[in-house]
Amino acid sequence: MSYDTVVVGAGLAGLTAALRLTEQGQRVLVVARGVGATHLAPATVDVLGYAGDARVESPASDVAALVASSRDHPYGHVPAGDLTAALDWFRARTEALGYAGRLEENLLLPTALGVPKPSALAPRTMSGGDLRMGGRFVFVGFRGFKDFHPTLIADNIARARLPTPISARALELVLPAQRRVDMSGRLIAGQFDTENLSEWLINALRNRVDPDERIGVPAVLGLRRGDEIWQELETRLERKVFEVATLPPSIAGIRLFDALTNALRAGGARIVLGVRAVGARTTRARIDAVDVANATGTVSHPTGAVVLASGGFASGGIELDSFGAARETVFDLPLIGIPEADRVRFAPGYFDAQPLAGAGVGTDDLLRPVDSEGSPVFTNLHAAGAILGGAVPWKEKSGTGISVATGYAAARAVLAPAAPAVAESVP
Amino acid sequence: MATHNTSMSSLEADVLVIGGGSTGVGVARDAALRGFSTVLVERRDLADGTTGRFHGLLHSGGRYAVKDPSAARECIAENRILRVTAADCVEDTGGLFVSTPWDDPEYGDLFLEGCRATGVPAEEIPVAEALRREPRVNPDIRRAFLVPDAALDPWKLVWGCARSAEEHGARILPYHRVLDLEAEGDRVVGAHVRSERSGEEFEIRATVVINAAGAWAGQIAKLAKCTVNVRAGMGLMIAMNHRLVHMCVNRCKRPADGDILLPLRTACVIGTTDVFVPDPDETEIRQADIDLLLDEGEKLVPGFRQARALHAWAGVRPLFEDTAEVAETRDVTRSHALLDHSSREGIAGFLTITGGKTTTFRLMAEAAVDAACQQLGGPRECTTAEVPLAGSESHVLYQIGHRLAVREPVPQAEEVICECELITRARLEDTIKQRDTTSLDDIRRLLRLAMGPCQGGFCIYRATGILHAGGNLDGAAANRTLLDFLEERWKGIHPILHGDQLRQARLDDWIFQGILDVEHLPA
Amino acid sequence: MNDFIRDSLDHCVKCTICETYCPVSQVTPLFPGPKYVGPQAERYRGAGPSADASVDYCSGCGICTQVCPQDVKIAEINSRARAKLWEKRGVPLRNQMIARPTVVGRLGTPVAPLANWALHNRAVRGAVQRVVGIHRDAPMPSFAGRTFQRRSRSHRGPVDAPAVAYFHGCGTNYYEPVLGEMVVAVLEHNGFRVIVPQQDCCGLPLQSNGNFPAARTYVRRLVDHLAPHARAGLPIVSNSTSCGLMLKREAHEILGIEDDNLKLVSESMFDLCEFLLRLHERGALRTDFGSLPLTVPYHAPCQQRGHGIGKPALDLLALVPDLHMIELDVDCCGIAGTYGLKKEKYEISMAVGKRLFDDITATGSDLAACDSETCRWQIAHGTGVTAVHPIELLYRAYGLDRRTRSGLVTAEAQPTPVNR
Repeated sequence: MSYDTVVVGAGLAGLTAALRLTEQGQRVLVVARGVGATHLAPATVDVLGYAGDARVESPASDVAALVASSRDHPYGHVPAGDLTAALDWFRARTEALGYAGRLEENLLLPTALGVPKPSALAPRTMSGGDLRMGGRFVFVGFRGFKDFHPTLIADNIARARLPTPISARALELVLPAQRRVDMSGRLIAGQFDTENLSEWLINALRNRVDPDERIGVPAVLGLRRGDEIWQELETRLERKVFEVATLPPSIAGIRLFDALTNALRAGGARIVLGVRAVGARTTRARIDAVDVANATGTVSHPTGAVVLASGGFASGGIELDSFGAARETVFDLPLIGIPEADRVRFAPGYFDAQPLAGAGVGTDDLLRPVDSEGSPVFTNLHAAGAILGGAVPWKEKSGTGISVATGYAAARAVLAPAAPAVAESVP
Repeated sequence: MATHNTSMSSLEADVLVIGGGSTGVGVARDAALRGFSTVLVERRDLADGTTGRFHGLLHSGGRYAVKDPSAARECIAENRILRVTAADCVEDTGGLFVSTPWDDPEYGDLFLEGCRATGVPAEEIPVAEALRREPRVNPDIRRAFLVPDAALDPWKLVWGCARSAEEHGARILPYHRVLDLEAEGDRVVGAHVRSERSGEEFEIRATVVINAAGAWAGQIAKLAKCTVNVRAGMGLMIAMNHRLVHMCVNRCKRPADGDILLPLRTACVIGTTDVFVPDPDETEIRQADIDLLLDEGEKLVPGFRQARALHAWAGVRPLFEDTAEVAETRDVTRSHALLDHSSREGIAGFLTITGGKTTTFRLMAEAAVDAACQQLGGPRECTTAEVPLAGSESHVLYQIGHRLAVREPVPQAEEVICECELITRARLEDTIKQRDTTSLDDIRRLLRLAMGPCQGGFCIYRATGILHAGGNLDGAAANRTLLDFLEERWKGIHPILHGDQLRQARLDDWIFQGILDVEHLPA
Repeated sequence: MNDFIRDSLDHCVKCTICETYCPVSQVTPLFPGPKYVGPQAERYRGAGPSADASVDYCSGCGICTQVCPQDVKIAEINSRARAKLWEKRGVPLRNQMIARPTVVGRLGTPVAPLANWALHNRAVRGAVQRVVGIHRDAPMPSFAGRTFQRRSRSHRGPVDAPAVAYFHGCGTNYYEPVLGEMVVAVLEHNGFRVIVPQQDCCGLPLQSNGNFPAARTYVRRLVDHLAPHARAGLPIVSNSTSCGLMLKREAHEILGIEDDNLKLVSESMFDLCEFLLRLHERGALRTDFGSLPLTVPYHAPCQQRGHGIGKPALDLLALVPDLHMIELDVDCCGIAGTYGLKKEKYEISMAVGKRLFDDITATGSDLAACDSETCRWQIAHGTGVTAVHPIELLYRAYGLDRRTRSGLVTAEAQPTPVNR
């Protein structure tokens, strides 16, 4: 089967690029080894949370400074205006999830450890937790749900560095009689979806929360009906309710994944999970087809362009062997940010700057991976997301921002006349 | 259970044991069983020294059969005893000696003869049979021998002894550091100690002080103006994510680096090296040693370098020598040494038991307490060869599937906090209470918390939350213990970080920094 | 020798993605989930059988392996652990029976009317549940009476045409022979000569019931029949996605069979829709479809997704004028081969399939499409809707149905829907 673009990777970057291309009329195939980091990360769009030790209040201004000082940073390869356009596009395509926020000011949302974390966009089930306005908070946990500890959250958040002080307390509820004691977030979300758990929650909270208290619950309010249940809670409790992201699985992230993949399928794109892109057929500096390994062998998909969104070390997009050699695992692309062979790979302190942290693929301004001379390795190959080097996203809190921005920009580059795309498919 | 929240001005006992490794707790237990009032002090957590850092091989003696026959004899005798008295700490894995293409196959004959001469049961088996039992072992091995090696859980062993000792009236005091030994004339009468947790200092008076401080015995002896020449031989070990082998697999050759690969609970361990270090507290892991172990592993198990390496650590073995010069620390006898300082230096009331290995800890303890009896009113019978440890009364040997089996038939009937190592919430809360600790590291040693593949990625947040919710510590202290744990854990991860474990570490970074944002916790 | 299934547990980073998708652990506390039972418990398995009986509740749907971003062979680890468990316990009569569809088929076929009556008689089913352990309501198909193998012997196809070998599987042979006839008709319509080799069960039910030695025997026997055709360069086409996957991958990965014949057969094996789509990519598929104005929900079986070929049925059916296929995004119908037949697992199976049943019912269509026969029987059982193989829609769109005597093939084999 041949396609206009093959996207390798079904994480946020890959899905963004694929959806953008699909809605522009391309025939797109997404191949992935499995589902990606959407299921693990908090579902917020974090553009930039920290510049060094300083917490970023306005990503719009700080991104420019970051890009100026950090030559290889992925944001530096995103065309001017694309960051804003990408976020606007993202919000439009996830309208049902009601993403709130602006590039000009970060929200401050509590983590499951009670630390205020900056995010540019958050789904409406989460954005009510914005700590910037102060106020009174109550964090609610469920006995048997070990991935959320409200007393610790309340303790820490009350002592956090915030623009306006807040007060916080904790409440632990006992779930209605369960057939099992060890409840995962997925199971609880399923009960919200199908067993009317919201009724129990409303009754349990109604008389135990003051009218001016905002209620923080773990992000498990339902997988299919998450937004609906959140609305029901707010309406019937007449208070602000917000979800707090916690350890994987990220239910809010799965909602995002489902929204994007449903849109892709509705647009006619093909998504194949459980397969592995293993290489390409090429003619000189152009990819003609992507080789994908499946149950028995390898199938070659002729394609006009390729977007590589295979993730970094965490997803196996890059690997380090026991001899210290690093490799990009699909196309064997050159990598940046790899220390010299005899240099140490890891600093002894966990929070020290780690030599390998910024490793990844380096690109030109069309997000095409480049060789040591700066020339694109393949004229029709673009990269997006965590595979890109030059950033330490978990530290600076920029992972999902980079994914959306570079996914969007990669799609633009595929469609642009400069790239040898399949002209007939572009409207 | 062992407590370190003491509040007292002084303690008195018949016997004061310094050192909380296998030797120390073995001595304390033996003394307590013989009816002596006993106190044990250990500057850190029990088994934090050599005992908690070795690979867990319960020797059959095969390894020493050629080179160190007396050590071999001791090993097989103690091996048999521990299988009965410490059954819960021992897994009957069996042992295999194999001649790889890099080993001289004729050594196998020396090996068999040495085993015969020392009473170590050894049997040559066909290579095909060895490979059937251990499919990951190098298919090109030329000879294979079975011996009754077993896998020992050192923490279970040490805590089993400690609990036994307490049941017989002993006081076990981890996190109590000996600052000085008290002497009256030419007799040691006790020690001046400090509780590391509370800062409080006090005296412990004892008729006999037994120095069981292992690689640190020399430092302790100096406080009594005695000389104990213990050399610290640092040994590196790497834990691999799953059991590549189910038996203790040894290279059939003169003992050398990296020639043992054996199961250690759910992991398997390759070891070890032997590097003299001047200070047993300064053990730096060198890349060259890591590579050596990985290469030796590859000889035993092809594909070893692609297997997932979980954690690396160094332990120091105490090598006692009465002479000043020895070429290589490995050549010093691994038999133990009992030093009665009244005859050596004229200092009464002070004994040192050092050298040896964990396999023979009980024997060492017996020797030490026998000697102490002479200064405590006469001989008393040692019963440690018969009396089972606390937890091993049923004489049922440990089975690897145990933690899995107890969760059937409804595995989710209890909350599992550490999923890799199947630690339930109840077990965690019990341990916190019994140990009266707020250190995640203390808990880790006892339960194996965070010692599985994810190295705490999921369970450390949960455990911290539980510790905090239990009221044991406030938010700031909870944060501190979490951050300390991450730093401590990293020390053992970064030297072997590659392949799958790097993926895991990166995911853990995303969890701790990206999702939880631990770096910006309030003070 | 490396055990790459067990060794794949090293790739597990405990991310929870597999257990989020596991349909069985969602509905029953008896199954703790694929992460627990797969890579996690495997570290606790020594040389002998594992201590955990809960692994038997794994349905083998394989969704976990498909969604795992780290290439852990979770379902395969579970399969092997289950086999060891049953090896130790001894496989009960029930599992022996349902694991041998050809034996059951051969017994039932000659007495089809009687056997069918018995299978749909409540009293008989009650007795069968008590004695053998097959749930009284479990969807059992009806014997066709005249196997596809027999029918194919009296079939005269084109003589001088490129050939394909047809691996029809037990389902088609004993229960849905008319489906087999449709497959042949569609292939002949596209200019092929269809060879139907002598063949028997692929061993998948034996494998999923933990009887590996017997499964291996079956695989080798089947592969001996098919290999000569593969060697002659013929593609082998299968309309049963689970049986096809068995030969493509599972026989090697789970049963550990290292056999040249198997390798050859796997490399030549194509799912029917996969084969036709490739034909279309080469411009060689006849597209003389008539209008088929239907709206039909399509469910890709778990085992079909395990092929990693996308959903070729949808791409093919997109060529049929006026046919609107609704791609359902639900993961599992619950039957999982023979899993849902078992009395202790039937309720689990129906709970797993509930969402699919609801989604199909919600479309309002009285027809659904699905590539696997056991899934079709489960769907019919759970919704009352007739479920057909996608090939039947192509068959009708080609107008081939006007040329045969029989009507909808699956009506004969549809289980009686349970009263819900």
